[in-house]
Amino acid sequence: MLLSRAASIPIAIPLVVVTGAGLRVTMDEFQSGEEAVENTIGGNAYQHNKVNQWTSTVVEHCLNQLTKLAKPFKYIVTCVIMQKNGAGLHTASSCFWDNSVDGSCTVRWENKTMYCIVSIFGLGV
Amino acid sequence: VVFSADEASNIIKECVDSIIGGIDYNHSKINQWTAAVVEQSLMHLVKMGKPFKYIVTCAIMQKSGAGLHTASSCYWDSSTDGSCTVRWENRTMYCVISVFAVSIML
Repeated sequence: MLLSRAASIPIAIPLVVVTGAGLRVTMDEFQSGEEAVENTIGGNAYQHNKVNQWTSTVVEHCLNQLTKLAKPFKYIVTCVIMQKNGAGLHTASSCFWDNSVDGSCTVRWENKTMYCIVSIFGLGV
Repeated sequence: VVFSADEASNIIKECVDSIIGGIDYNHSKINQWTAAVVEQSLMHLVKMGKPFKYIVTCAIMQKSGAGLHTASSCYWDSSTDGSCTVRWENRTMYCVISVFAVSIML
């Protein structure tokens, strides 16, 4: 197995970023992420006392959907929810893996009061 | 081989200190900083020479009173795989770095 560095991915504007030369991480994973976010925080405004619950729910639902896909992957799902307040937020990720089988995708979602960024990393077993 | 969260955590803290240690939030440099943090952290982790695939993520946020919450969930082999998260701050910004290590079965 050849391990190499995937390019660093600054996560800023694009709605969907799917990486990994093998592209075995596909639209299925992206849809899992999107559904998890819509169903959890779809019509809601930012609420400080609920955010912890929301982030946990989003990652759990997303992971549940992903495991239902029954693909030979280990998954890592991360979710960031940030209130819209004019602050700057920048994220980046760098991965040391096997480019032919591993990949990631990022779902960026927003409404009037908050941003939500879900990253899904899939590692082939 | 089991992932050592303590070792990884120390490596990350050193990397962040050396890149954004005493500096104030600067919109024009931030992309450069996040990229540098993830790249250098990854380089140091790989140098440890352990049989792991790594994922390093970094979020830098300006201190301005906004709320930020993050969560992560992982589907893996909990006897060999692991993660660690480092929360770092200075006067003008917060930095949250997560490292996920997945064992390579040889």
